[in-house]
Amino acid sequence: MRNVQILLRQHVGAPCEPIVKVGDEVKKGTLIATPTGLGANIFSSVYGKVEEIKEDRIIIKPDEVQGDEFVPISEGDHLDMIKEAGVVGMGGAGFPTGVKLSTPIEGGYVLVNAVECEPGLYHNIRQIEEDVERTIKGLKYAMEITKAAKGVFAIKAKNKKAVDVLRAALKDEDDIYIHLLADIYPMGEERAVVRECLGQLLDVDQLPSVANSIVINVETLLRITEAIEERKPCYSKNLTVIGQLNDGNEPHVYMDEPVGKSVADLIEESSGLDEKEPIGEIILGGPFTGKATTVDAPITKTTGGIIATMEFMDLHGAPMGILICACGGDENRMKELVEKYNAKLVSVTMCKQAVVMKSGALKCENPGNCPGQAEKVLKMKKDGAEYIIIGNCSDCSNTVMGSAPKMKLKVLHQTDHVMRTIHHPLYRHLTISKTVDQLPNGK
Amino acid sequence: MSITAETAKEHAKDPAVLCCRREAGQVISASDLEDPAIFDDLVDSGLLNLDGALTIEQVIGAKLTKTTDSLGPLTTENLEGYTAAAEEAPAEAPVEEAPVATEAPAAIAPAAAGVAGGTLKIHIGEGKDINLEIPVGALGAGAATVVPVASETAEATTGEAKASKEEEVVVRTLTRKHFSITEVKRGPETKIEGTTLYIREGIEKECVADQELVVDLKLDIITPEDYHTYSETIMDVQPVATKEGEDELGSGVTRVLDGVVVMVTGTDANGVQIGEFGSSEGYLDENIMWGRPGCPEKGEIFIKTQVTIKEGTNMERPGPLAAHTATDIITQEIREAMKTLEDSLVVDTEEFVQKRRPGKKKIVIVKEIMGQGAMHDNLLLPVEPVGILGGKPNVDLGNVPISVSPLEVLDGCVHALTCIGPASKEMSRHYWREPLVLEALHDEEVDLCGVIFVGSPQINAEKFYVSRRVGMMVEMLDVDGAFVTTEGFGNNHIDFASHHEQIGMRGIPVVGLSFCAVQGALVVGNKYMTSMVDNNKSESGIENEVLGCNTLCHEDGIRALAMLKAEMAGEKSKAAEKKWNPNVKSTNIELISNVTGKKVELVENEQSLPMSEKRKAKYD
Repeated sequence: MRNVQILLRQHVGAPCEPIVKVGDEVKKGTLIATPTGLGANIFSSVYGKVEEIKEDRIIIKPDEVQGDEFVPISEGDHLDMIKEAGVVGMGGAGFPTGVKLSTPIEGGYVLVNAVECEPGLYHNIRQIEEDVERTIKGLKYAMEITKAAKGVFAIKAKNKKAVDVLRAALKDEDDIYIHLLADIYPMGEERAVVRECLGQLLDVDQLPSVANSIVINVETLLRITEAIEERKPCYSKNLTVIGQLNDGNEPHVYMDEPVGKSVADLIEESSGLDEKEPIGEIILGGPFTGKATTVDAPITKTTGGIIATMEFMDLHGAPMGILICACGGDENRMKELVEKYNAKLVSVTMCKQAVVMKSGALKCENPGNCPGQAEKVLKMKKDGAEYIIIGNCSDCSNTVMGSAPKMKLKVLHQTDHVMRTIHHPLYRHLTISKTVDQLPNGK
Repeated sequence: MSITAETAKEHAKDPAVLCCRREAGQVISASDLEDPAIFDDLVDSGLLNLDGALTIEQVIGAKLTKTTDSLGPLTTENLEGYTAAAEEAPAEAPVEEAPVATEAPAAIAPAAAGVAGGTLKIHIGEGKDINLEIPVGALGAGAATVVPVASETAEATTGEAKASKEEEVVVRTLTRKHFSITEVKRGPETKIEGTTLYIREGIEKECVADQELVVDLKLDIITPEDYHTYSETIMDVQPVATKEGEDELGSGVTRVLDGVVVMVTGTDANGVQIGEFGSSEGYLDENIMWGRPGCPEKGEIFIKTQVTIKEGTNMERPGPLAAHTATDIITQEIREAMKTLEDSLVVDTEEFVQKRRPGKKKIVIVKEIMGQGAMHDNLLLPVEPVGILGGKPNVDLGNVPISVSPLEVLDGCVHALTCIGPASKEMSRHYWREPLVLEALHDEEVDLCGVIFVGSPQINAEKFYVSRRVGMMVEMLDVDGAFVTTEGFGNNHIDFASHHEQIGMRGIPVVGLSFCAVQGALVVGNKYMTSMVDNNKSESGIENEVLGCNTLCHEDGIRALAMLKAEMAGEKSKAAEKKWNPNVKSTNIELISNVTGKKVELVENEQSLPMSEKRKAKYD
């Protein structure tokens, strides 16, 4: 195992402050950094020795032999234990869970995000299939702490096995239900989950608490249960490794990998990058919201996937426009893709439903429901684009396909190279209904 | 990304496109090729041009002569050593003559000339959004007929098994005695004198009085001179027929009037068309597709009721049923008069013989009928042909499958209340002349064991409930093949698809018939929906509100039979093209004619009718 690199900024909030020195021996669960403001505790995920402390990370050389024992957190009330364990939203945003659960939603809903909306990722669904009991316990703790009346699992109907496992596990639970979702992107965006489950569309700056609810990722529930029942600090992560690998393009699903482990180690354990074909890029995260990374990078508490893609097409400098969308890559990511396709950027447009937040991040006013794109497509055409690359959701991609080809624009989707790699249909025309039948009484 | 050798084999006939950049000198294998599953999207996106692309089977093992980019098609320009295009030609039919199979046609079957049909794009809302393309079309019938016969012969010679040629068994017969009517008049009593039918004056009042929901009933006699008359939407077209003596529906003797049909039309008291899901109101001669199985023939006299039912009841079950029941009071009085007619007035006698043909491929026809409630209902098995009395609404029967004999179908066992789109609905008269049942009944190469009617319920859970019963019933029948037909499009395609799955998963070849084309493209699908016949006749592939235009006709029945025979012989229908292409049908028809030596007459479409204002404005 290569050195473990634990980033000091893994969550929403300011970077944490290291509390160990170079040369310190650490164990699994040793507290090594603490928040300076909003944030969460960071623990060592291995037995080893602190080798270096950089501005943004603590580097630990792991011992040859790794035991299973860990340094437990202290007993306390449930909310305190979650805070102390450094649990954060494992779905990607990384908001400290202890803070999220501190706001009571009396009589409200805990919505479990089991949507796993990014194509190619499988670990959330696998967790439900294999570890439903601890998952449901986590939900009950969350409901108890927030005084919520009801819990709802939001899950795509296509995951038949996981839905069956949930139905069996929930049949005698009075207050926990299942809400089925269609297989379109994105259904797992926080406000999309609220809209789908509760029928209330939140403004971009509103939190689910406006709808008397919280949204919590399914893996986060697992970490809550671990913190409360096993006194285990949050230092491990479930994730999927997939792509152009030596053993093909089937997913490798990992449970409880040490945070800080390198991408290189995980790819190696997944049979390694395909030696016969050039690799396009390695993505940390999902095809839509992930970022290009290198094999030296570590995983964090919010890493969901590692994807090795096939090479990019060579467009030989053709003029290209980008359509930025809140549901896909940001402007930098889209520009990076233009370069990778060896195209020339001639036009930058943004979906009119994408709103720039104070943090600089984009949010969609109504995720998954298209506001029309013809105007943007026209603009790119006018700017001289021959190709356009879009990062849109299923619905908006469909709209773009309604106009762009008629204007003789060649359409690429941000996820094309990933979809081709994993043999998943491309995002183009929307071919299924956006709604699915619900289970009788949500059970 | 690159595909496996297996995938390459499945897509042997699909275009070959490089998945990644490849340098000159590369010997092409599956691992150099892109997955054809995504070609449609790539072509649509302008990223891929398949012109001149060789097929996958042609390029495997060939050498690339020019360095070519990712998504570059392999053509004669950048490849050497590829295999020449396989002739579209024809593996010949098995040469060894089947010694005992005397019926085996000597025709040479173009076994490899499989033909796809109009395209139905299917999307599955689960799994990984798999796109299926459904072929509509089949092999020429020849291959299908020769192969099974040959194999059965082989079985017979090796041992006990089946006798190679078994006797046909006559199960029952049905005789239709035709009485000609050339004039319809009103008179003091309902009677038939010679070829004149008199309908009692004032009978309308009794019709209205009988039905609480019927506010008014107007009776019109429409002669060919009056065809350019405005009419409310046509709810049904019915033969005027009655059973003789104690004979039961589906056997014995039926008397029927030629030259005249009953036509039910109507609105509610607010003037809203009954069952307003697209309606055929307008001038009769502009809105009726003459000669369709369910429609009047040009020249026939219509006994047309215009029923007004209580306002707001037009979309609920009791309203349309009341309109039909009120009309049937008139028909029943005519039936009574018919029973007294002398046999000397019979102008024509037809006999339908239901035979079982042991040793031949056993098939069943599953007909999906509407059962969503409101006018989406059918009265099954009334006492009189297309009568009311004794009929059970399939909605009340829970829409579960009901088995009937082919002769019961042809004897009017369905009184159709259906009011889906006029162009694709099967009216009562349709069943009376059901083309697929007739074709299968008379085809000596198959053993038609019966017909199953299954209702199409409103709720999805119920759809799957009835569909599973269809699966069980078909399983018990031990058939070699099955048809599934439906009327309308949209919601009912959910159970239509499920019937295919239930039958297909039991290893039974299944061929579907439905209006699809452009407007009725299937909304769901599954891997068993590989063989489809499109009932569309309209020019643009739409529900054009012309009565009966897109219903199942003989040309569809013939294609479906050819396709099922091919499937039962182990052939596969060719995958469909991406978009609806009416040429596929014509190619199939031509192939079938070539093999059978019989010309298949095609029916006309709405273009043969005078243009209505509505059609001009809405459709053409």
